[in-house]
Amino acid sequence: MRKAILTVLSLLFLMPIGVLILLSVAESWRFPMLLPQAITFDYWKDFFRSSGNMNHSIGLSLLLAVTVAGAVTMAGFFTSKLVQKQENKRFLLQLAYFPYSFSPVIYAFCVQFLFLRLGLSGTFAGVWIAQFLLAFPFAVLLFSSHWTPVLFDMEQMVATLGGNRWQAFREVLFPMSKSILMLAFFQTFLISWFDYGLVSVIGVGKIQTLTVRTYQFVGESNVYFAAIASLLIIWPPLMLWWVNRKFIFV
Amino acid sequence: MGYLDIQRIHKKFGDKTILHDLSFQLEKHKTLSVLGKSGCGKTTLLKIMAGLLPPDGGDIFLADQNITLVEPQLRGAVYLYQQPLLFPHLNVHENIAFGLKIRHLPATQIKEETQSMLHELGLDGLQHRMPEALSGGQKQRVAFGRALIIKPNLLLLDEPFGALDIETRVVMQTLFRKIAAEHQITSVFVTHDLKEAVLMGDHIALMDNGQLVVYPSLQAFIDDERTGMQNEIKFWKLIK
Repeated sequence: MRKAILTVLSLLFLMPIGVLILLSVAESWRFPMLLPQAITFDYWKDFFRSSGNMNHSIGLSLLLAVTVAGAVTMAGFFTSKLVQKQENKRFLLQLAYFPYSFSPVIYAFCVQFLFLRLGLSGTFAGVWIAQFLLAFPFAVLLFSSHWTPVLFDMEQMVATLGGNRWQAFREVLFPMSKSILMLAFFQTFLISWFDYGLVSVIGVGKIQTLTVRTYQFVGESNVYFAAIASLLIIWPPLMLWWVNRKFIFV
Repeated sequence: MGYLDIQRIHKKFGDKTILHDLSFQLEKHKTLSVLGKSGCGKTTLLKIMAGLLPPDGGDIFLADQNITLVEPQLRGAVYLYQQPLLFPHLNVHENIAFGLKIRHLPATQIKEETQSMLHELGLDGLQHRMPEALSGGQKQRVAFGRALIIKPNLLLLDEPFGALDIETRVVMQTLFRKIAAEHQITSVFVTHDLKEAVLMGDHIALMDNGQLVVYPSLQAFIDDERTGMQNEIKFWKLIK
């Protein structure tokens, strides 16, 4: 019974991906046919050849997501440690929920004026900072339960054994925090990778990430290119999910 | 001046004074047992000596050096907690060798000294075990080994046997006395157990109202009603 439920759930999860794959290689696929009448890889060739520098968009999305996730993970890790040592830590953690009290698009409109004045609107740096500001409180909240008194005691133990702060981090805190650091990196990577609202508003159409391009194809009713772009969008998260299962939460 | 010289240490948390102009001295290679009720400031005193907490006033001298403002990693004062706090990602050998590794000593020297320490602590054959596979007593032995291998100037023990069962506790007390004598350790041993205080210390002190009374003799310790020794003796006589 359990196996049957799992199989049905897996099929439900995989079916949309299967449809996207078929759509990306369907030469013609008209209602009421269940499957495409012919298969072609021409759309894939055209996608990378003629649809306006898609490689640049993929590279830009990867660069943005990896650097935002890396910076947010490390900043969140050390900030949450500092927060845990404060007497008013409960208040500070409540503040961290603030950016999530409204949608990213509303958040983007709220900060847009400031970004315009600072000359960050329509720039990679502007989008990077906006995504950092959105993902950073999330990382702080994620790490807040990680900083237990035992972890602080371990750090102090290293100090009395003669280790400096860098050694305490490298030899003890980092290995002990590996799983949650990876989790934070993956989660914040996904926040940045799938972000459409902030990139659209702060990027003002000049920052063409893969997500933005996908929405453009959907808007143009270009179903074949939209399917290819969607497959490319879900590829990194699937990889992360596999790495998570294989190496982290074993 | 003693090897360890604590001069007028003062510490407050908010409005509450924890240590009030506390002073004492301890000679080299001796152990001072510090007895006191829970929350009387024993841990605060140890943490100040280890450099993990700053005092509000006073000075700490170790081997004639004023270490009051010295960073904990440069003091050579190892603090041992009630919990062994073994690093969970390192095996027994790596835990014991930790202090030598961060000093970047040659690998052969690290291996030799760690093997010797394992043997001394009766941990032969357990070097590849991970901490979660050890008993409470074995964990505490590893914690001792990790502290002793760096030849600390001062060992600060905060109720290190508090979480052990009575049998293991007795074994560990005997082991500590043996190791302290062999390695000529200078230590401050905090406990709230009367018997343990008497057994472990070359000197005994009582912490009360933020002050530390170091007794000149065991008899002086017994004679002071505040220590509870007289009640303890009366109890055992009554049982007899």
